[in-house]
Parts: sequence; C-alpha cells; structure tokens
Amino acid sequence: MKAKKIVKVGLIVFVVGALAAGAIVIYLFNKPHRDVQNTDIDFKSNASDLVAEYLSDPTKANEKYLDEEGNSKIMAVTGKVHSVTKDMNNQFVVLLKEESDKAGVSCTFSAATNSSAEKISVGQMITIKGVIRSGAGYDADLDLYEDVVIEKSDVITEN
Amino acid sequence: MLNQIINTMKKLASLFLIPAVIISLVAFRPVAGKLVSKNAHINFFSHTSVEDITANNYKVVSTLETSTGDLAFSVPMQSFEFEKALMQEHFNSGNFLDTKKFPKAKFDGKITNISTVNFSQDGVYEVDVTGNMTIKETTKPVNTKGTITIKGGKVNGSTKFNLVLAEYGIAFKKGKPSTNIAKEIEVKVNADYLSE
Repeated sequence: MKAKKIVKVGLIVFVVGALAAGAIVIYLFNKPHRDVQNTDIDFKSNASDLVAEYLSDPTKANEKYLDEEGNSKIMAVTGKVHSVTKDMNNQFVVLLKEESDKAGVSCTFSAATNSSAEKISVGQMITIKGVIRSGAGYDADLDLYEDVVIEKSDVITEN
Repeated sequence: MLNQIINTMKKLASLFLIPAVIISLVAFRPVAGKLVSKNAHINFFSHTSVEDITANNYKVVSTLETSTGDLAFSVPMQSFEFEKALMQEHFNSGNFLDTKKFPKAKFDGKITNISTVNFSQDGVYEVDVTGNMTIKETTKPVNTKGTITIKGGKVNGSTKFNLVLAEYGIAFKKGKPSTNIAKEIEVKVNADYLSE
C-alpha cells in the first residue's frame, strides 16, 4: 500500500515535471523579440559624444554597449537631424550628426514607429530611443567613416 | 529664297539644339568616381529538411569605385533579424558568430570587368566579382557573378552566392543547430548607390 502510494506520487511528479519542462522549451523556442521601446533606457548620450567615444576606443565601447546574444544596450541619443531617408524595408532612417563630426548616429525606425519619423525635419534637435547594433569607426576598405547603428528607433520626449 | 529657308532652319535647329544639349548634360550627367550605398539589403537563407531559416539586414554600407571597380561591403552583424528571437540570440552568441567580439563582417574586392559597365547609359550589366570575405577571424576568397543596373542615373548592384559556414569556422557537431542549419547558406545582396 505504501509502495503503491510512492509510485503514484512519483508518477504525478514526473508527469507534471515533464509537462513543465515541455512548456518551458516551447516558450523559449517561440519567445517574442525584445520590445525595445518598452524596455528601460540603459544609456543617455548625445550623438557627438557617442561617436567620439567609439572613435577613441572602439574595443572599450563595444564592451560597454554590445551584448553577447545581440540584446545590446538601449540608448537615448540626442542630436541634430542631418537627413531623413527610407531604407529598402520602407523604414525611416534618421541620421543624427553635427556638421563638424566625422560620423553620426544612423537610427532606423520600424513599421510600428515609422509614423513618428514622418514629422521629423532636417536641422531639428531630437532624442531617439533604440537599440545599438554597432559603433562608429573609420573603415579603410570603404575609405569612409561609418555611423553608429541604432535600430527599432522612436522619438522620445526627454524628461 | 531657298538659302533664306535653309538659314532660318539652321537658326531654328541651333535654338533647339542648345537647350537639348544642356538638358542632356544635366539629365544624363554620368555617375562616376566613388559611389556610396547606405541603402542596402542582405538576406541569407538556410534550408534543411527540418527547417528553413532566413534573416535580413538593412544596415549594410558599401562603396563602389566606378573607375577601378573596387568594391567593399561592411555588415553590422547584430542587425541581422530573424523571425524567432531565440535563433537571433544563437546567431549572435559566442558559439556562432560572436558578434560582440566581431561586430562587423567585411567584403573587400573588385568588379573585374568594370570597363564593360557604361555608367552613363541605362542598362543591365552582368559583372564578375572577386574578393575576400572576412567573417569572425577568417578571411576567404569569394568569386561570384553580379548585376549592375543603371536606370535614370541611379546605380543598383545585386548578387547571389553560396557560403560554406565551416570555411569560416562556424560548425556544429551536435545538437539542434547541426541538423537544423544548412552547411551551405544562400546569400543575397542588393544595394542602391549614390555619388559620394
């Protein structure tokens, strides 16, 4: 009688455990992308400072801003709008750059945030929140300075 | 009488000719020198019987020197977007592309038959591309065919080639990735170029 009970309890524990493990696997496999706009800001910077930080020590900056699994830091970057264009995925791309700087911060919007980019005009000072993907730097093969890459962008009002 | 008519016609012709020459000079000003693309798209596709995996990147930068055919690409690796978040994390992780340590992949090469492309005339030109691709720490030669399309003064470049992951030290010996990721993936590149 006692042995039977142990087996019964053991079976229940096993089944529940297996179901929980299965659910976790399914959840992990299908887990949604991080919602950048609903994630807290990690760093606030202005476009010129961020570019300067990358140009002076890219290794240190990558260590600070990039994440091993691609969930890199959420940035709020303030700067002067240099250009507003659209990419091949029909997403707005806003370049924050001072005339005197060698590179800028290229912020790509998304289908969800595109409408707020429509109102942006060149010369305006704005703050953009998004996830950093790569830094600025001089590339010898391209023979030009590459911009800092920010994606999943949206315009935010600073508090 | 006849001379007068001919003279008038000559005058008329020159009147039309001058603006025509000006318009053609402005409208068909050949794009030359260094072209830059900050509007490009790279897609890769992996097919196995278990699963199809695809990812897109819209933050690619490229340059093309029309006189020499010099061609370069810089690809921010964390900008590849996958359908599933987990796949994207695996792609970026230390076991796979280690994008924190190697944030960019590079291609440095040449269009070897650039002289066959007339940048001042609309058309579709087949080109030969050769160069070196650097992914993580490994540099390997890549040879492929590409297409340069000139339309209304706009320059577009595109190509499609296969890439063997193991050649770049990206290999899976066991587990899900070894069965779900193809050994050879298809890479598609499309870039719109503007004068610098």
